[in-house]
Amino acid sequence: MEQTTIRFTLNDRPITHAAMPYRTLLEVLRDDLGLTGSKEGCGTGDCGACTLLLDGKPVTSCLVLAAEADGRKVTTVEGLAKDGKLTPVQVAFIRYGGLQCGICTSGFIVAAHALLESNKTPSEADVRAAIGGNLCRCTGYDKIVRAILAAAYDEGELVDESASMPVMEKPLFTEGPM
Amino acid sequence: MAREKLLGPLGESHARVDAPDKVTGATRYPGDIALPGQLWMKTLYAHRAHARIKRLDVARAEQTEGVVKVFTARDVPINEFGLIAFDAPVLAGDVVRWIGEKVALVVAETEQQARQALDLIEVEYEDLPALTDPREAMKVGAPVIHPHYANNVLKHVPIRKGDVERGFAESDVIVEGAYYTPMQEHAYLQPEAGLAYLDEEGRVTVQVAGQWTHEDQHQIAHALGLPDERVRVIYPAIGGAFGGREDMSVQIILALAVWRLDQMGIHRPVKTIWSREESILGHHKRHQMWIRAKWGAKRDGRLLAAEVEVIADAGPYAYTSTKVLGNAAVTCTGPYFWPHARVDAYAVVTNNIPAGAFRGFGAPQGHFAAEQQMNKLAKRLGMDPVELRLKNVLREGALTTTQTPLPGGVVALPQVVQVCARAAGWKATSTERHVADENLPQGSTSTRQPLATGYGFACAFKNIGFSFGFPEGASAAIELHGGTRVERAVLKIAGAEVGQGGHTVFMQMAAEALGLPLAQIELVASDTATSGDFGSASASRSTFFAGNAIRGTAAAALQKWRDEERPAIAIYRYQPPATENFDAATGRARPNIAYGYVAQVVEVEVDTETGQIRLKRVWCADDVGKAINPQLIEGQIEGGVVQALGYAITENFVTRDGHVLTPYFSNYLIPGVLDVPERIESLILEFPDSEGPWGARGMAEMPFIPLAPAITAAVHDATGVWFDELPLTPWKVWERLHERSYTPHS
Repeated sequence: MEQTTIRFTLNDRPITHAAMPYRTLLEVLRDDLGLTGSKEGCGTGDCGACTLLLDGKPVTSCLVLAAEADGRKVTTVEGLAKDGKLTPVQVAFIRYGGLQCGICTSGFIVAAHALLESNKTPSEADVRAAIGGNLCRCTGYDKIVRAILAAAYDEGELVDESASMPVMEKPLFTEGPM
Repeated sequence: MAREKLLGPLGESHARVDAPDKVTGATRYPGDIALPGQLWMKTLYAHRAHARIKRLDVARAEQTEGVVKVFTARDVPINEFGLIAFDAPVLAGDVVRWIGEKVALVVAETEQQARQALDLIEVEYEDLPALTDPREAMKVGAPVIHPHYANNVLKHVPIRKGDVERGFAESDVIVEGAYYTPMQEHAYLQPEAGLAYLDEEGRVTVQVAGQWTHEDQHQIAHALGLPDERVRVIYPAIGGAFGGREDMSVQIILALAVWRLDQMGIHRPVKTIWSREESILGHHKRHQMWIRAKWGAKRDGRLLAAEVEVIADAGPYAYTSTKVLGNAAVTCTGPYFWPHARVDAYAVVTNNIPAGAFRGFGAPQGHFAAEQQMNKLAKRLGMDPVELRLKNVLREGALTTTQTPLPGGVVALPQVVQVCARAAGWKATSTERHVADENLPQGSTSTRQPLATGYGFACAFKNIGFSFGFPEGASAAIELHGGTRVERAVLKIAGAEVGQGGHTVFMQMAAEALGLPLAQIELVASDTATSGDFGSASASRSTFFAGNAIRGTAAAALQKWRDEERPAIAIYRYQPPATENFDAATGRARPNIAYGYVAQVVEVEVDTETGQIRLKRVWCADDVGKAINPQLIEGQIEGGVVQALGYAITENFVTRDGHVLTPYFSNYLIPGVLDVPERIESLILEFPDSEGPWGARGMAEMPFIPLAPAITAAVHDATGVWFDELPLTPWKVWERLHERSYTPHS
């Protein structure tokens, strides 16, 4: 079997790369090109940790052959922040606690970006549907959903670095025995 | 109810210190690290539940292109490992006792070459009888699986308090039940991976995701026959753990390969990454348990006597089973006061996947039985389940079944029960339900409205820190740099950041203890070469132990600073009060240092036509002693609840004759965002623990524990049917509701 040459745009940079035709886009990005932000959680398209944008659409890159990227535009989690400036989605995940161990986080952030590119005013149901293919074992998802909604609706606050952390709505109970 | 704002960094929801790198993809997990010249390793597993190895020939595999070396049992100097007993082989040489037993390791130039060579290893097995039901394995005359464990019983814990016969005779009501709790897979999203090499000082170094750097170091050193200091373990970012990384996966085999290659004159790093299937087959699971309970109570609700039998499936090796069993024995009678109790708990050796640590560590199993019993008792007595709890929960000074009081000052069980019930509006909902319940036909509701709503209640307690006399303690070091004032402080601590936010909390506590802003704290973490032993990121112990270690270290460092040492460097080890193992005859013990307390109300919706159960809302009251970082605590509550939702409803770990039929995320279903409740209400209580740093207790396991019995109570409230075995898969629920050919597991 011979290597095939693939030409594509990776995070706004043109790339020419030779790879065996059976290799996945995820393998090529991680093993050959050193972009390890996209993770392999299952290898079967079930967990979404390898989600990236192919021509702006989210795909599970463990199921995409590298050759399929030929002539197309690939955006990974590493390509979202521009000139060191985090996107509102990234800031919202930090501020609203939308991550714990972080191994699924790249996939969620990429999926959230794809949603907000196509829908500037998503409902909560839209958000849940958009990340329905991404698994997280740590957070229970609530803070991820809050973070994405905040990124959609509180953009001004999220780009203001002096803005304070979100305040807990709920009181802490410190009374004596009842 | 208004909360005073604290001036220091404690009690603030600081953003996680590791978050910026995690949202940009910059964080490196073990599988993301590559070194020049690295080789790849793949593992040959037995895929047999119980067999004798008659012949093992690696010659063809070793001659394959790209293969550097194949290692077998003969290459392991001291071929044993284990956290509480060295009873498992690193590589099996004569007998394999479970399907994931490792038989050989292939090291090759590429991962693909290593994988292909696995098929060329020739192994001839003679199958032995596989025992996969612990109730059969513990019978007299059953074949013995492991030479260390006569009758296949790894451990028996008896607890004897009072006189149960008298207690039952004096009881007005007796409730009996038989319960089954299943295996559960940790399903952290990062499969096991690691990279080994010899560092600049010649130490065998492994970069891996674990939970206890120094225990990994010790087990590697033991197997290689090296002193501990010749081995170094470093944790880069860890992609979830939940107890599943407390025992060995790739640690020893990576170290073995790199060390043996070095002796052969091959000085190259070795890397391995497990697939999802390897991860699910290759590490231990939550113990499946069969629990029989008989409880007696007075008509006014006072509990009198409990008789409980617990049978836990340990798999073939000890791992942490004796400790998990101890916790199940302590918790299977619930967080209640008992004048009379008799518990017999057994951990039994089988040919199933080894069982070990998983969030809750025996308490979810124990409480599933206890809280089902309690909710059934409430029903029998016609008493509100919350009122019944308040009559019986353990309070300060009350003696547990192990005949000692709970430590730590306030025992906040009445508080978590009341705060939770009140926040959920329990009185109103339960009254409504009691009315509606009478109108519901028992067992079959198919002709009525298909969606039935129900509410359930459960509460729990669990230890913080290692139990039963296991050596406990945690070390930290602090360096203060500067001239006239401290310019920066370096905290060195081995505690693992498994996703819980431990490192953020460590830094907040160091800032508080030193009186410095968080920005001046630097963290050097999770490396045996830079820190002393911290113990494990498990047993809800990291905040509690790190806090105490940091406070002691900070005080010592500040003293040196005042004595004008520059830099001022202090090392300190926190040593908690000693715990005790069970008395062999009565089980009497002071088993733990501290406890956490939790209560939950849940609302479920049961589709009686499909058997599907939807968890709609959860209220969780958790006494954390002191909330160091409320947002991270909410994260633990939400995450713990959803993991327990998987345990209760969606995660069906299916095995047959010791083989796993659900090794993928396509058939082992962990909850996704569309499966989770619309609301999880975190009710954070702060009743300080007298031994805890700033009063903090551990809390990360607590929210998991009461959820399953709260759900089964709510399902009963909705349908009139008790489900005594988990998980509540749709087919199981539908069959019970429609009274079809349902055969219970137990």
